[in-house]
Parts: sequence; C-alpha cells; structure tokens
Amino acid sequence: MSSNIPDDTDATPCAYTDYREGESTADLPATGDDATGLAADVWDVLYGIEDPEMPISIVDLGLLYGVDVADGIATVDMTLTYSGCPARDMLTEEVKAAVAAVDGVEDVELRLVWSPEWTVEMVTDQGKNDLREFGLSI
Amino acid sequence: MRRDLDPSVTTSGAAEGAECPYCESTDTIREHPKGPSLCRSMHYCNSCEQPFEKFE
Repeated sequence: MSSNIPDDTDATPCAYTDYREGESTADLPATGDDATGLAADVWDVLYGIEDPEMPISIVDLGLLYGVDVADGIATVDMTLTYSGCPARDMLTEEVKAAVAAVDGVEDVELRLVWSPEWTVEMVTDQGKNDLREFGLSI
Repeated sequence: MRRDLDPSVTTSGAAEGAECPYCESTDTIREHPKGPSLCRSMHYCNSCEQPFEKFE
C-alpha cells in the first residue's frame, strides 16, 4: 500500500509565520460591571439576551469580550461557544438589533472574535447558578 | 474503522463523578456522551435518582 503522507524531512517552517503570545484571559469575559452612562445601557440590553438553548444571559455565559461606545457608535466584541455554533446568525443579529435600539446608540459594530477561545471557565458565578438551576452540572 | 473514532459516541469528560445540580451528590454515572446539544452529556444521579446534563 503506497502512502501519500509526505516525508517530514522535507518539511520547512513557513518563513512568513509570526508567532505571538495569545491574550491573557484573566480579565475575560467582560461583564460591564464598571461601565457607566451609555455603555452601561448597552450592557443592560446585553444582559437581557439569553442563550437559545439554556436560560442564561449571554453575558453570564461569557460570550462578551468587550463593549466600547464612542460618538454614538457601539463596538461589541463577542465570541461564541464554538465556531460552528448553529445560533451564530441568530445571536449576532439579536445583539446588533438590541444594541442599536439603545437610546443614544446610532450604529453598532459587532466584531466576532475567536481568540481567546471560549471555555466553561468563562461562565460567571451567576451563570453557573443559572445553569445548575436549569439542571446542568458545571 | 476503530469504533472510538466516531465523534458522536465520545466526549471529553469523566464517565462518573459529575456533581448533581439538584442534590450536589457525586454518586453519578454518565448514561450517554451526548445530550441535547454537542457540548452536553447525559448523566444519572444515584442519590436523588434524577437524570441531569453536564457541560463538557
């Protein structure tokens, strides 16, 4: 049986790859605890959005990495539990619509980020309580 | 084809000892590696005799 696997002695490292340390996850997820003014209003509506499968806010689930409001433009950094999440469009559209509806927000820029990747550790204590209440061991 | 290559019947967590969300007992057993979504498995609590799900 012939093999198509290349002999790895032929392999050369890519000269154009820049390896960088990933971001620290110590201050993630973002929960907006210290947000004020318009940003706090944005966090309020984000707290109101629940995961489609479980009664837990997407903020407590740890999907939000940052919210910034400047000149009426809200920039929201969020991730999903995994890249193939079937609720991707549903959740991003819901976030955009909810944030755009906040008084004072004229435009929303939603950035879907995949680094650092989401893990169960991103769930807040409140979120863990919500999930246990739902009958989910975490 | 080795059977353990089928992702639908494998999961990352332990087969027993998950904490029951209802009574906090760890006398539990995993009944199925997959639950209602890919990130959850099905367990059974011997202590309060309830099925529950676990986040994998």
